[in-house]
Amino acid sequence: MLSATHGADESNGQRYNRNPAVADSLLDVTQLCGSSTTQHLPRVLVVLGLYLIMEASVIGAYQVKFGTNDYRDLGFCNLRNKVCIPPRTRICFNQSKNWRNFGIQFSLKDSQTEAVRSEEVSRDTLSSSGERSKSVDGIELFVGLPLDAVSECNTVNHVRAIAAGLKALKLMGVDGVELPVWWGVVEKDSMGQYEWSGYRAIAELVEKMGLKMHVLFCFHANREPKIPLPNWVSQIGETLPSIFFADRLGQQYKECLSLAVDDLPVLNGKTPIQVYQEFCNSFKSAFAHFMGSTITGITMGLGPDGELRYPSDHRVAKSSKTPGVGEFQCYDNNMLCHLKRHAETTGNPLWGLSGPHDVPSYNQPPTVNNFFKEQGGSWETPYGDFFLSWYSSQLISHGDRLISLASSIFSDKTVTVSGKLPLVHSWYKARSHPSELTAGFYNTANRDGYEAVAQMFARNSCRMILPGMDLLDAHHPSGSSPQSLLEQMKAACVKYGVRVSGQNTSVSQVPSCFQQIKRNLSEGNVAVDLFSYQRMGADFFSPKHFPLFTEFVRGLGQGDLHSDDIPVEEVKSVHTGSEAQKDLVQSA
Amino acid sequence: MPTIALEPLLHRKIIRQTNPRFQTELRKIKPFSLSYRSNQLNVCGSFSIFKPRKFLAVSACSNSSTVTRPSESTEIIYSETFQLKLRETVEGKIFIRLDKGKNEDNWQLTVGCSLPGKWLLHWGVHYLGDVGSEWDQPPIKMRPPGSIAIKDYAIETPLKKMDATEGGYCLHEVKIDFDCNSKIAAINFVLKDEETGSWYQHRGRDFKVLLVDYLCDGGNVVGAKKSFGLWQGALGQLSNMFLKTEAHQRTSIDNKKGSAETIQPNKPLEGFYEELSVVKEIVVDNSISVSVRKCPETTNTLVYFETDLPGDVVLHWGVCRDNNKQWEIPEGPYPPDTEVFKSKALRTRLQTKENGCGVRGLFTLNGGLEGFLFVLKLNDNTWLKCMGNDFFIPLVSSGGLSALSGEHQCEGKGTMISLGFNSGSGDVGETMTKDNQGASHTSHTDGIIKDIRNLVTDISSGKTWKTKSKAAQESILREIEKLAAEAYSIFRGSSPTFSQEAVSEAEAISETQAMKPTVKISTGTGSGFEILCQGFNWESHKSGRWYMELHEKARDLSSVGFTIIWLPPPTESVSPEGYMPKDLYNLNSRYGTVDELKNVVKRFHEVGMKVLGDVVLNHRCAHYQNQNGVWNIFGGRLNWDDRAVVADDPHFQGRGNKSSGDSFHAAPNIDHSQEFVRRDLKEWLRWLRDDIGYDGWRLDFVRGFWGGYVKDYLEASEPYFTVGEYWDSLSYKYGEMDYNQDAHRQRIIDWINATGGTAGAFDVTTKGILHSALERREYWRLSDGKGKPPGVLGWWPSRAVTFIENHDTGSTQGHWRFPRGKEMQGYAYILTHPGTPAVFYDHIFSNYQSEIRTLVSLRNRKKIHCRSNVKIAKAERDVYAAIIDDKVTMKIGPGYYEPTNGSHQWSLAIEGRDYKVWEAL
Repeated sequence: MLSATHGADESNGQRYNRNPAVADSLLDVTQLCGSSTTQHLPRVLVVLGLYLIMEASVIGAYQVKFGTNDYRDLGFCNLRNKVCIPPRTRICFNQSKNWRNFGIQFSLKDSQTEAVRSEEVSRDTLSSSGERSKSVDGIELFVGLPLDAVSECNTVNHVRAIAAGLKALKLMGVDGVELPVWWGVVEKDSMGQYEWSGYRAIAELVEKMGLKMHVLFCFHANREPKIPLPNWVSQIGETLPSIFFADRLGQQYKECLSLAVDDLPVLNGKTPIQVYQEFCNSFKSAFAHFMGSTITGITMGLGPDGELRYPSDHRVAKSSKTPGVGEFQCYDNNMLCHLKRHAETTGNPLWGLSGPHDVPSYNQPPTVNNFFKEQGGSWETPYGDFFLSWYSSQLISHGDRLISLASSIFSDKTVTVSGKLPLVHSWYKARSHPSELTAGFYNTANRDGYEAVAQMFARNSCRMILPGMDLLDAHHPSGSSPQSLLEQMKAACVKYGVRVSGQNTSVSQVPSCFQQIKRNLSEGNVAVDLFSYQRMGADFFSPKHFPLFTEFVRGLGQGDLHSDDIPVEEVKSVHTGSEAQKDLVQSA
Repeated sequence: MPTIALEPLLHRKIIRQTNPRFQTELRKIKPFSLSYRSNQLNVCGSFSIFKPRKFLAVSACSNSSTVTRPSESTEIIYSETFQLKLRETVEGKIFIRLDKGKNEDNWQLTVGCSLPGKWLLHWGVHYLGDVGSEWDQPPIKMRPPGSIAIKDYAIETPLKKMDATEGGYCLHEVKIDFDCNSKIAAINFVLKDEETGSWYQHRGRDFKVLLVDYLCDGGNVVGAKKSFGLWQGALGQLSNMFLKTEAHQRTSIDNKKGSAETIQPNKPLEGFYEELSVVKEIVVDNSISVSVRKCPETTNTLVYFETDLPGDVVLHWGVCRDNNKQWEIPEGPYPPDTEVFKSKALRTRLQTKENGCGVRGLFTLNGGLEGFLFVLKLNDNTWLKCMGNDFFIPLVSSGGLSALSGEHQCEGKGTMISLGFNSGSGDVGETMTKDNQGASHTSHTDGIIKDIRNLVTDISSGKTWKTKSKAAQESILREIEKLAAEAYSIFRGSSPTFSQEAVSEAEAISETQAMKPTVKISTGTGSGFEILCQGFNWESHKSGRWYMELHEKARDLSSVGFTIIWLPPPTESVSPEGYMPKDLYNLNSRYGTVDELKNVVKRFHEVGMKVLGDVVLNHRCAHYQNQNGVWNIFGGRLNWDDRAVVADDPHFQGRGNKSSGDSFHAAPNIDHSQEFVRRDLKEWLRWLRDDIGYDGWRLDFVRGFWGGYVKDYLEASEPYFTVGEYWDSLSYKYGEMDYNQDAHRQRIIDWINATGGTAGAFDVTTKGILHSALERREYWRLSDGKGKPPGVLGWWPSRAVTFIENHDTGSTQGHWRFPRGKEMQGYAYILTHPGTPAVFYDHIFSNYQSEIRTLVSLRNRKKIHCRSNVKIAKAERDVYAAIIDDKVTMKIGPGYYEPTNGSHQWSLAIEGRDYKVWEAL
């Protein structure tokens, strides 16, 4: 399988050898630098630095500027760990290397010392500001660790595989990993009892490997692999079912707490917000040593699957070709109370007695019943607006509570805080955007529902994680459009200056999905500067997938899709141009 | 699969290392080189710095035993012997002798090997004038006793261990007698070591002994005078290898030689004798004994080491004061030849023993210490550890001797390797005191860093950096791939891949079926209620009108209850049976014309049966020769050139990529990684489906290419049902089949999985196990460790196509015939069990017909389907019984079994020789 890519590269090998003159000049400068430095160790570093410069230039020839700022991301020395793989030097073979426009015109001595020095500088700025500028090629690349990296009994699952995987990622030039930290693992048995050992072991592994780490707080449960909520929470749920979301028929969603209980003292006299806060504080002190160095980011779990949404689709059959619209989840007692109060204060007490009565069920299309109808549906009536505004604002306030909590806890640490949104793309093309409405985003043909969300993120200086960067409209039913939805969400982020981290939905074995990711990352004006690939595991390393991923990482290293090929493309365009002229001549 | 795909990259690296040891080694094996395809065995592996795990695995296991006591006056508080298993490469010889036998026409070929091992000669002959295939089965009388036929092109003969040893080493050899008038042009062979599963070839190709002196087309000829001394110059050859696969490179070099050869007139056969060097990895057992004594007079503790490890042994050691095993340096005095290492540990060179064999050391320690920690360093910078940890010797006797040794009882299989190329860099002691696993990881990464550093130094010293930097990058990539493969194997292995999924799938299906009777059609399973009929045997081509004959039998076959018929391969073929296709669009074959084919397909549709086409996608015979005279240029509508042929089968000089699977040696293997090939094949399948009317496929030799391509083809051709032939051998030990055939069925499952479940596969595992169970009266084999059926049907029943015989295994070929007379037991099993059963033509038209009819109609009547539930009631020496879906009970074997009439009333449906089937009333 790999041979295919090698084969494809073969023809470029010749191009590589084509410029002996450049090679010689490199040799010369290297020797020059060797003689001009006196101390042994710096010399090695300097020489190594040169190697990296060469590499960087080979890989992203047109992006490299030899200024101070750019150098720090070329940083190759994690001296403490004696791991000196340059983070930017993604493995690159026989790529078309065109030296023609490159030339080595800098004064080597200067730039080398610069390189070393600027590395130090960057470390300082890093620790003082915690804001990391864009990499040379603009994208930081992370890879998610397996969801069950730490088992319920706090041991690291497949530690050897993870260690090997980390090393492979390091060598590839991946910047870091994302570690899901589960509420149900850490605070499993009783409230306030935290067991961090398993996660700490991973942090140590990651640190040793010289990678960065983002931590994802999972205050929800997971089905596959099965990771439940903390036992004591589930027990409370037995006696107090209203801590969970419920639908029209009273069916509960027990994989995370209802957002209506955020500020109610339902957990042994504490509110969920307090419990989350203590959890985060405990994490902060347990991992103080890693904060800002290895751990550079925190993602707050905001709801079902960690995403800011209602679990409106949890009973939607995933297998069917056109999924249903889902159902509103506002029927637990506390939500209904909220609704009632809200209706009363807005002067329509009758609207607060229940949720909308004319909605389809989970697996039905929007055309069933009246609410989501394309024309004249209830969603366009004053009642619809009343209900949807309330339903979506509840979600946004919930997100605000959690994100501001995280921001305040980690404000003194040099870590970024992020929150994740879902990409509810099915039925995007319907005027009512029914799936988004049930999920809690009041986004319709008449109204941009994501601006309010982006504003909330901006207010908290929180990064927004957008999944589904690998999705193509072509792979989805006609009513759905992941691409347009993603565009809309990105636009909202740009408008309010929210920085975006990208994610893919699943480990894909199709090259077109990787191309789609690259396209999403390479679009000019959007602030996507981090991509977190989901996720490590058997599929990830399978021979069907891993070579594609390697290819993808290599491609990222080159910044633009075909930056290396730009000169060639110029040539081509000239060629086709002349052909076109010929055609013209002939037709004339 | 994954490891294999990655492996070639690992091999190339070996060669590029410019390690002095490598070169000496090369000189030794001049003038022949051998190349190896294997995961386990690694030629010259010991010089590869990136493969510590391969080149030197050491496992230590402890068993308490008495140790020599230098002084009796003291109290022994601890003694232990650690076994050290050291993997070493040993060199030996393969020799090949051709000499005259009893008379003028009788000749004998002897192949031997001087290394220990379980050697097999995998061989075939090249018949005179046969251009299509260089590998064919030899005449029966040529096969030595104990030979096993491998498909239709090779023989495997075990090498016998000879008593007579010359020079003290053991010798294995095999003799092949042949008649030099038997029209055999050449004997081809490779050696296989069953212990390691490694193949030994000659210069990257099969060994070839020419019996008739004519065009020799390669450098792999043994015993031809002119190929001596053709060693290319190791480095010259190897430096050429870049990013291309090993095999391909070698081949291209060989070819240059080959094309320069000239055709020579026939010469009488001459005897010869050749010796070739061979390197194999073996395990050497050493041990280290440690004893701890308390000095009664002082508070001192004496630790005594003794080992039979050869060469210089350095003990890298320290002590600890508590259970944290924190390394510390004890107070002096130290034994002679000790140096302090990084103020963290001590290094003591052990002294040679008086008798000169092995080394020893005596250490005197003060009291108050908890333990003694050490690792061993051998002279080749190899580090030996205990199960991946430092060796730990307790110095206090509190727990009693047995408890102490139990504390670090090693499971005996642990292997840990730490490699020592960074021994001088000083972080060994540091990391060792930490997490040892981490230590080896760090050292690993360090190695690459070091390599880059070397590279950079080389740049500044003015060497050719271009190739080197590529090489360094490549080694990084290879390292990445190796790590990925390792991670993959662990992740994959730790999540049970199938059993559960299969169950849940079955459950889900039975649930939905309970609710609504609609059936889900899947290209891998059809309706789920399919019963397959193989509609031909090995002789069917002879009449020339097979399609017509089937036409007449269609009604009959349908009445038996079959739902699908599998027709023979329809394309023009070099061999009459159809498995050597040439022009894929020419469907006039020995079985009939294209019109007759269309007619018979139509006829089967009329009687309500689906039709499977037997398509050969793995290989295709060429129409024309290339400039070297090799047949690899195709004609007809799909006039591919040699880019459509895989590069790693040297016989056919393909210019495609390396094969994504195994090779079929008799014809050019198609390179499915080529876009144009796939496009053409998809179009062809589509055409067969639309124009001829086939409903699905039986895919020949799918081991030859990656299942993912199959998925691609099936998605394009949308068949109703597909089954692939993934046939490899089960695992045997000492001639007896292993009980656990999970590895075998996993390989089949892996393939099905690669196709995304779009195809089923023949359940070769079940057939193999039935053989042993029935033949040897070992019916207990029919239940696996978890009480499920032991074949593919136990894991993924809906994708298992069960069978007991086909045109290869039975018919007139008989490559792997079902135990004679026990066929009905086999059918009683497969026709009552889940999976999709396939009945062989010969059995339908035999006196088994009525029994088969009864079983098939029972299956249909009781609605047993491919996902039915099996409860094994009995699996003993002489009887196996199972209840299927609570509707059918069956037993096979001479032993007694009767179903109990509890919730169900059972009535006997059919009874035959050693089997009975009951149905629930």
